[in-house]
Amino acid sequence: MSSIPWPFPKLGIKPALTNAANRRVSQWARKRQGIDSTVTRLRPGRVYILPTGVGLVFGLMVFAMLLGSMNYNNNLSFVLTFILAGLGFVAMHQCQRNLVGLELSFAGVEPVFAGQAAQFRVAITNHSKNARHGIRLYTDDSVSELQDLMPGESKVFVLAVMTDKRGRIPLHRFGIRTLFPFELFRSWAWLHMNLSGLVYPHPADHAPPPPPTQTAHGHRQHDARGEEDFAGLRKFHVGDSPRHVAWKAYARSGQLLSKQFSGADTSSQWFDFSTVPSDDVEQRLSILTNWIINADRTREDYGLRMPGAEFSPSHGDTQRRQCLETLALFGLDNNSG
Amino acid sequence: MAKARGTDGSLLESLPWTLFALMFSLAPHIQFLPWWITAAFIICGIWRFSIEKRRRPIPSTWFRGALALLCFLGVLATYSTVSGVGPGSALLAIMAALKLLETLKRRDQFVLLFISIFLVMSSLLREQYLWSLPYLLVAVFLIMTAWLRISSATGQKARRSFSTSGRLVMYAAPLAIAMWIFFPRIATPFWAVPMDTGTGTSGISDTMSPGDIGLLSLSDAVAFRVDFKGDVPEPRDLYWRGLVLTLFNGRTWSGNDPFDGARVHENVVYGGRPVEYQITMEPTRQPWVFALDMPLSSSVTLPRTFMGPQQQLARARPIDQRISYEATSYLDYRTDVHLTQFARSFYERIPDGSNPRTQELAIRMRNAAGSDPAFIEAVLMRFHEQEYYYTLEPPPLGSNSVDRFLFDTRQGFCEHYASAFAVMMRAAGVPARVVLGYQGGELNPMGGHLIVRQSDAHAWNEVWLEGVGWRRVDPTSAVAPERIEIGRGGSMFDGVGAAWGFDMPSALLHKVTLYWDAMNATWNEWVLGYGPENQNKFMEWLGMDDPDWRKMMLTMIAVVIGLVLLISLALSLRYRPPKRDRAAILYTRFVRKTGIEPATGETPALFAVRVDGESAIPTETVNSITSTYLDARYGPLNPQALQRLESEVRKL
Repeated sequence: MSSIPWPFPKLGIKPALTNAANRRVSQWARKRQGIDSTVTRLRPGRVYILPTGVGLVFGLMVFAMLLGSMNYNNNLSFVLTFILAGLGFVAMHQCQRNLVGLELSFAGVEPVFAGQAAQFRVAITNHSKNARHGIRLYTDDSVSELQDLMPGESKVFVLAVMTDKRGRIPLHRFGIRTLFPFELFRSWAWLHMNLSGLVYPHPADHAPPPPPTQTAHGHRQHDARGEEDFAGLRKFHVGDSPRHVAWKAYARSGQLLSKQFSGADTSSQWFDFSTVPSDDVEQRLSILTNWIINADRTREDYGLRMPGAEFSPSHGDTQRRQCLETLALFGLDNNSG
Repeated sequence: MAKARGTDGSLLESLPWTLFALMFSLAPHIQFLPWWITAAFIICGIWRFSIEKRRRPIPSTWFRGALALLCFLGVLATYSTVSGVGPGSALLAIMAALKLLETLKRRDQFVLLFISIFLVMSSLLREQYLWSLPYLLVAVFLIMTAWLRISSATGQKARRSFSTSGRLVMYAAPLAIAMWIFFPRIATPFWAVPMDTGTGTSGISDTMSPGDIGLLSLSDAVAFRVDFKGDVPEPRDLYWRGLVLTLFNGRTWSGNDPFDGARVHENVVYGGRPVEYQITMEPTRQPWVFALDMPLSSSVTLPRTFMGPQQQLARARPIDQRISYEATSYLDYRTDVHLTQFARSFYERIPDGSNPRTQELAIRMRNAAGSDPAFIEAVLMRFHEQEYYYTLEPPPLGSNSVDRFLFDTRQGFCEHYASAFAVMMRAAGVPARVVLGYQGGELNPMGGHLIVRQSDAHAWNEVWLEGVGWRRVDPTSAVAPERIEIGRGGSMFDGVGAAWGFDMPSALLHKVTLYWDAMNATWNEWVLGYGPENQNKFMEWLGMDDPDWRKMMLTMIAVVIGLVLLISLALSLRYRPPKRDRAAILYTRFVRKTGIEPATGETPALFAVRVDGESAIPTETVNSITSTYLDARYGPLNPQALQRLESEVRKL
């Protein structure tokens, strides 16, 4: 159920052909509808509908039944045939009406690290006096949960979009669809809300230890601090220096712990892009990300020095967000996406 | 196909409904199916349900394949064919049972529902009664409810599925009625399929062997109903001609094939007043078409129906459905006055050595009578005056059955008398034959039509007289004249009442039966018999000039489009949003005037702060409108606030 045909099903034969056809259709829809605002109510004109596979079989069956009824001149099987045909017509309209008038509003997306799925949240509100059934959002390669909307109800649907690199992940288009009532028809609408989510760099898996902490006076405290300002033990994190591992504790408990050293209250770290020990820009960003996460986790003050930007040492959510955002968008055109 | 045969209970919400719909569609078939198919179906249903309940894996592919083969062979052994309605519905039932065992995913159940629909359809092909319409409507409702259960999100209440599918069937009903009325009916089928439904053929058999069966079954089943255009003829004239038996082998009478020995057609001269009528005949699975003696061949409005050499009507295809046709008959008629020598000897032929006593008696009586008419009279007088009895339970007759009957047992019903009479005629050199058909009928005062039942089946004779031609003689009337004069209509019910010891209920029962029959007749004519002719009549009544299939098709399309638009309108009204709050409308107008787009989730108060200074609207106005709006929209009911908002927004 991961990939949803859109609108032409992938039949396995000539996937290039159906892909091209789908692309043409979606371009046409995009041009026809224009950009949607982040709060959009579905008009009837933009809700499309096509029969499903089950619907096609149903249609064939009704046609066969019609031939049979004509052959036997059997008036009651005519009744059966026409009732089913009528239900087909009704199902078609019911299916389209199940979407028309719903209000979709973008409810935000949390930043993620590259490699994680960005969770685009969209709230759908049913303003009408009757329930809407079997609603689901979808993108080219993911679907949200299937939910019913009672009269006046509003529910959040989550679209997970996989990310692979830092920057802004755009969601140019997503769809809303329903198979209600009988899965004979699929009606859907495309939305082009121009959404995008922020993707932080992937934290480096094997990052070198961060540069040593400095006191407010700027003195280097390289080797001396170990014996003096031991502050306690905490869990080992990737990137911790093996020199700080509490090997004795490890021997006792089997748990990797790092020794923590606190300098003075004023101690802080500066993470400088230019001094990160790597040649590759992306690798440097990854390492910086790793350092920031770790520093944030231990609530240490840290500053970030990037070409053209500098955040003085601090800690807290704002500092973390600002620094990671800078890393995410470093070197990228901010206006794009 | 890895090991994915385990069930997880996800079907528990829909499977019972699917099973119920299947069972309901199978119900009308059960009496015709071999018992083991019904048993297999029920076992598979229960088995599959318990598998789901206990979250066990479904049976293996090998097991299912073997079972399928076994069942197929079973059907083949039972029916020795796989085409036709009987074996077809047996196969459908088997398929449903086996598919149940294979069903794993929720959507696999659609196949089961498709099978259900075909089961309902084939039950309608088998038989159509008054209750068939409500039955099929309920079946559609149940199938669509199950369909909805399968396709809707899990956790939905069953009551909601019921009401939704009921509502959709209601919407579909006017569409179905329109299509049913206007869809052009055609008279001739595309292809013929054997309709062996496994039920015994009702009606009259092709041969007659008096003495073989000891008991004439008195079935009350309706053979056909007759609507006369004018007055109903006298009961003694109601001879419904069916088939004619011309060959006698000493024991059994049989007919020559109406399409084979048709070289010599007899000339019929019709006289007197024509009697016009319409017959609605129940299926007999035989070719014979019944008409009042003597029908005008060209008047019978049934396609591919021909008149045989002895004026017997037959259709090229067996009558496997209820049919309706019009015909015209003349009670006065004369047939060929001349008979060729060949034909004469054909109608006088009896096996030489058979029934010697009868032959001897016939020759003696003929000599004593002096002429053929006097001889006929003498034979009838013998039946009337000597001790011959009319009974429906005669003793069985051995070989030389006519001798045994005439001289020993002297008890029998119409077949015995007709056979004995014909044999005597032939033995004495008078051409004679046996006619099978129905005699009489009961007038239904409610429907104004005549009901002819299977128990009205009758056999009589025709003898050929020099200068007169073929003449009808009914020897049974000599024995039991009341059988012919009044018919046996009411006597049946009197018997029931007498057996119970009171009369009133039987009269009431009879009346109820007649009402029921009248309803059936109307139903048959207007619903089941809605064919090309009735449709044309109805179209003309609706005001269509010169109806043909093109006009009907166009009308159907137009009506269906109109109805679909109405349904669409009904649905859009159903899903329309409630009227927007007046305050909200006014506030939206204000927001548009500011020229600033509100952010998602921004409250009016925050928006006001943001607007301040950015917009051309003065700060006081922004604040006042915002607070008035909050008052009018969310505060206690306050008409003044709304009025103030109205005027303030208008001022902008």
